[in-house]
Amino acid sequence: MERGLSAEEAQFRQEMREFFTTKVPQEIRDKVAAGEELTKEDLATSHKILNEHGCAVPQWPVEWGGQDWSDLQRYIWLDEMQLANVPAPLPFNANMIGPVIATFGSEEMKKRFLPPTAALDIWWCQGFSEPESGSDLASLRTTAVRDGDEYVVNGQKTWTTLGQHADWIFNLVRTDPNAPKQQQGISMLLIDMKTPGVTVRPIQLIDGGHEVNEVFFENVRVPADQLVGEENRGWDYAKFLLGNERVGVAPTGWIKRKLASAKEYAASVAAGDGTLLDDPLVSARIAELECDLAALELTVLRVAANSHGGKPDPASSILKLRGSELQQDVLELIADIAGPSSLAWSDADGSEVPEWAHNATPVYLNFRKASIYGGSNEVQRGVISSGILGLKG
Amino acid sequence: MDFKFTDEQDSLREAARDAIGRNRTEPVPGDAVHNEKMWQALAELGALGLPFPEDAGGMGAGPIEAMIVAAELGRVGARTAYADTLMAVTLLGQDELAGAAMEGSRLVVPALYEPMRAWSPEPARVTTDGSALEGVREPVPFAAAAPAVVTTARGDDGIAVYAIESPTFDGARLDLAGQSARHVGGDAHLRQALNLGTLVLAGEALGAMESALGLTVEYLKSRKQFGVPLMKFQTLTQRAADMYTSLELARSAIYFGAMSLAEDPEDDLTISRMKVITGKAGKHIGQEAIQLHGGIGMTAEYAVGHYTARLTEIEHSLGDTRYHLGRLAARVKDYGALDLVG
Repeated sequence: MERGLSAEEAQFRQEMREFFTTKVPQEIRDKVAAGEELTKEDLATSHKILNEHGCAVPQWPVEWGGQDWSDLQRYIWLDEMQLANVPAPLPFNANMIGPVIATFGSEEMKKRFLPPTAALDIWWCQGFSEPESGSDLASLRTTAVRDGDEYVVNGQKTWTTLGQHADWIFNLVRTDPNAPKQQQGISMLLIDMKTPGVTVRPIQLIDGGHEVNEVFFENVRVPADQLVGEENRGWDYAKFLLGNERVGVAPTGWIKRKLASAKEYAASVAAGDGTLLDDPLVSARIAELECDLAALELTVLRVAANSHGGKPDPASSILKLRGSELQQDVLELIADIAGPSSLAWSDADGSEVPEWAHNATPVYLNFRKASIYGGSNEVQRGVISSGILGLKG
Repeated sequence: MDFKFTDEQDSLREAARDAIGRNRTEPVPGDAVHNEKMWQALAELGALGLPFPEDAGGMGAGPIEAMIVAAELGRVGARTAYADTLMAVTLLGQDELAGAAMEGSRLVVPALYEPMRAWSPEPARVTTDGSALEGVREPVPFAAAAPAVVTTARGDDGIAVYAIESPTFDGARLDLAGQSARHVGGDAHLRQALNLGTLVLAGEALGAMESALGLTVEYLKSRKQFGVPLMKFQTLTQRAADMYTSLELARSAIYFGAMSLAEDPEDDLTISRMKVITGKAGKHIGQEAIQLHGGIGMTAEYAVGHYTARLTEIEHSLGDTRYHLGRLAARVKDYGALDLVG
């Protein structure tokens, strides 16, 4: 057992800190800090800068642009990125379809898709959930029927995050309706969003933003060479996609950044003769969240060291569960600190209320999603109780 | 940053598990009873001198090793003066009584609580004029076993440490007036002693939480109601998953507390965070372990409730969650973002 970083690791951390705080435009990082919605251009600009410096897809194989970093280095990379308010590389590209293609795709598919995926020359979105298939993803009903060299796709996807910006979608489809188990009849297809028959419709959310969409497929003809891996193995790829990442499951750097901001915010809100940071109830809440965060971050570091070679690990469920809860707790704290100054969401000229306070409520509301997406927290508890504790329901 | 145990540490765990398992007695409700057989086994193992330098009569290991032994005590519900003795030895420094404590030839405990006074590491009503002591310590742990005592007192020159080799107790109460006390030194080691004691208690809590969850999981698998095992009910298994999450987060914090003290014995910021995390986890797991068992969890003949009792004692020893949270809250202004690894 050894606390702290080695000299080389400390040096690496310094390099990452300098890169993120000097190369990614301040304007973008300020928007992240204030909880503003980022434009497509903001996200693309930041992603491309990261990619040019080898910092967009370090977890990929080295031959496709990855870095030969240790788990601890990857943790430092992510931590510093989040601490500097740098938007994450587009997760659909960097964490989801990229690793799937790199692991299960043909050489031809890798050559065709991996470089533009790393560079964000293709913007991906995720076609998993359907109106009748949420937590019960394997019940999905979108079909793909083989017709010569093509598949014909019909059905509907939903909760497609940033689908309005996307060039391509990686889509789970049912290719064998007669498979003995639902999971065995699913395949993964890569579909160009411009293909005739694909329609995107926005879903308005409770924070007033447009982040997710419905995507409809009507007789969409997809070349068969856009099938990932083998037919009817899509469920394995989907499980790999959802469970292959452990270092990044819990956004501890993001939570850390928000908690540090919460202190500044509290110190800027007058209360009695002092500020909210002088209020013992507020400082105790901050201190308690720092304890919770410390326990989570130390657990990330502890389980990262026991990596199982990229296989899904039930330990990821702990990180997802607590990471999402803490994200929500810290945003709740910030909204409470803003208090009455949070009541007007829009930031009109001349407002004496800062941007973060105007945004506090919509951001708080937006992140209620965190305990729902990527496998709801109830699903995660199920994974823990059956996968780790052996409680078979 | 490395959370792995060495082979030696793994061997120590095995040896401790074996020795403790052979000497444990069934837990009973009420005040802890000193088990001299267990104590001698711990002494033979070297556990009582584990974190102290060899030239001072110790084993030359560290807080990580002490935490490992404590977890084994906690796992089987063995209530001992382990944390107390390691604190007493730390406070005694070069004093000869430390050697006897490490050998197990004399039970020595710290007397740091004042009756009906919230926890503070600084004595309030225990005073000294430089020779005699005034005031009352209560409760003194394991007083029924007639231990020697180390205590602190407030004098003109600040806080000083005293040893009382043969104190006269009134139950768990120790009236310091008229006791023959020996001045040991100032309070230079007080913070280290409290940090080490808090870590060792947390290690014991870790073992107790593991066992409480383990028993609960086994019970959910074996106990049948409505014709099916309890694990068929999601309302129970979801809560067991939360208990596991609390356990693993506390484990990380306790391991980190141990490696932090190995590097800096004065690091009370880390220890306060660890105590808060352990305190919350202990309450959560202890309460849920009884609830998920149902009535059987209330009985003295079944083990699970004893773990909850011990976790409750640990929560109230050396500063509870409220105390440590208050200490942390007073310092949140001193830094911006949390930095654990730097």
